[in-house]
Amino acid sequence: MAILYAVVARGTVVLAEHSAAATNAGAVARQVLERLPGGGADSHVSYTQDRYVFHAKRTDGITALCMADEAAGRRIPFAFLEDIHGRFVKTYGRAALTSLAYGMNDEFSRVLSQQMDYYSNDPNADRINRMRGEISQVRTVMIDNIDKVLERGDRLDMLVDKTANMQGNTIRFKRQARRFRNTTWWRNVKLTIALIFLLTVIIYVVLVFMCHGFTLPTCIR
Amino acid sequence: MSFADLEAGAVRAPRRARGPDATRALVFQITTAVASYRRLLNSLGTPKDTPALRDQLQKTSHNILQLAKDAKEKLRRAAEADKNADTSADKRVADMKLAKDFATTMEEYGKLQNLAIQREMAYKPVVPQTSQPNYTTGGIEARDSGKIPEQHALLAESKRQEVLQLDNEIVFNEAIIEEREQAIQDIQQQIGEVHEAFKDLATLVHIQGVTIEEIDTNIENSAAATKEAKTELAKASKTQKSNSSLLCILLVIFGVVLLIVIIVLAT
Repeated sequence: MAILYAVVARGTVVLAEHSAAATNAGAVARQVLERLPGGGADSHVSYTQDRYVFHAKRTDGITALCMADEAAGRRIPFAFLEDIHGRFVKTYGRAALTSLAYGMNDEFSRVLSQQMDYYSNDPNADRINRMRGEISQVRTVMIDNIDKVLERGDRLDMLVDKTANMQGNTIRFKRQARRFRNTTWWRNVKLTIALIFLLTVIIYVVLVFMCHGFTLPTCIR
Repeated sequence: MSFADLEAGAVRAPRRARGPDATRALVFQITTAVASYRRLLNSLGTPKDTPALRDQLQKTSHNILQLAKDAKEKLRRAAEADKNADTSADKRVADMKLAKDFATTMEEYGKLQNLAIQREMAYKPVVPQTSQPNYTTGGIEARDSGKIPEQHALLAESKRQEVLQLDNEIVFNEAIIEEREQAIQDIQQQIGEVHEAFKDLATLVHIQGVTIEEIDTNIENSAAATKEAKTELAKASKTQKSNSSLLCILLVIFGVVLLIVIIVLAT
């Protein structure tokens, strides 16, 4: 919660106020109202007290004052003051210049509460903060993307190793397949030669019997 | 008149000779007036622009118009006179040149007049400060001299208040501007970080592209090797089938031979 307390006053007469926390902001606010410089002239001022800053804006005799964290800076509190000042003047107009103390507190206190909550919590209250938030989101998404891409890189490295391994294995497989083919081919050759030899021997034996001698005398002659 | 002029042509010749000179002088006056008009026109829109200057501008414009009317009348009369056969060629050429100069000057004056109208609408004259009236009566002066210091003091106090007010506003605006600048610089820094993140991402993606190319190459080589191995194995299978057939034939023949040998030995 950046804005904790807000007041709308005419001079030192409080017309409406709202406090989001139990503090002594009311008393300090009255002191600030009394110390505002320059009589009734329009002004923007900020006073520091402990960890809080009191911002005050006076225009056309109506003063809007709020207490905010030091971290809230000035841009958001003064945007808040501008907003509630405009709403107050638009709602009550000239009646604000003649009413009694706390004359608008019943109605405007709720408006103060809503606007305090809006300017304290809603990023849309300030374009720069909203843009900063969006860029933070983009940065977070980009960091997440980089992590995912790094993980993907690791998996790709693993895949490279595995595919290199597979390539080696398939080359070895091809080599052994060729060797196996050569072995079976040579075996085929040997069997063929053996068959031819056996047939030759059988034919010779048959001829020996028919020609009546080992040297085949009758057939040759 | 015209008939009288024709009858007394010889007698009036010296008087008519003065016509072109008078017209030339008139055109020269118009040219001078237009130059003066231009000089006054250049003062419009400057600190020298005053109601008196604008009055002078109006008078000069009026004067130019009068002179132009007279010159136009004289030039028309000269043109009519030129139609006579008696007029010399030199005079005719001089009259034509004079008419052309007059036309040029009037054209320029028209442009200047348009410009004057534009500037008079665009700018307001500077009203000179009227001097304060002086009191001659001693009594009145004595009374006013008593009030003037007080008024001066009040005026000075008011000025000082205004200056203080402006100083406060300046300080306030500077604080707001500084805070806004700080926030914008934060945004710039974050955008820089996002930019670095995008560059890193691009680098990583590029490197992984190379890695994927390598994977693709490995897989293609594996596929080719596997295809060749498959071919080799198919051939080996066919050869092995042939081997089985040959082995059977050999065994059968061997068996038959053995049988015959046994039969022969038995007998």
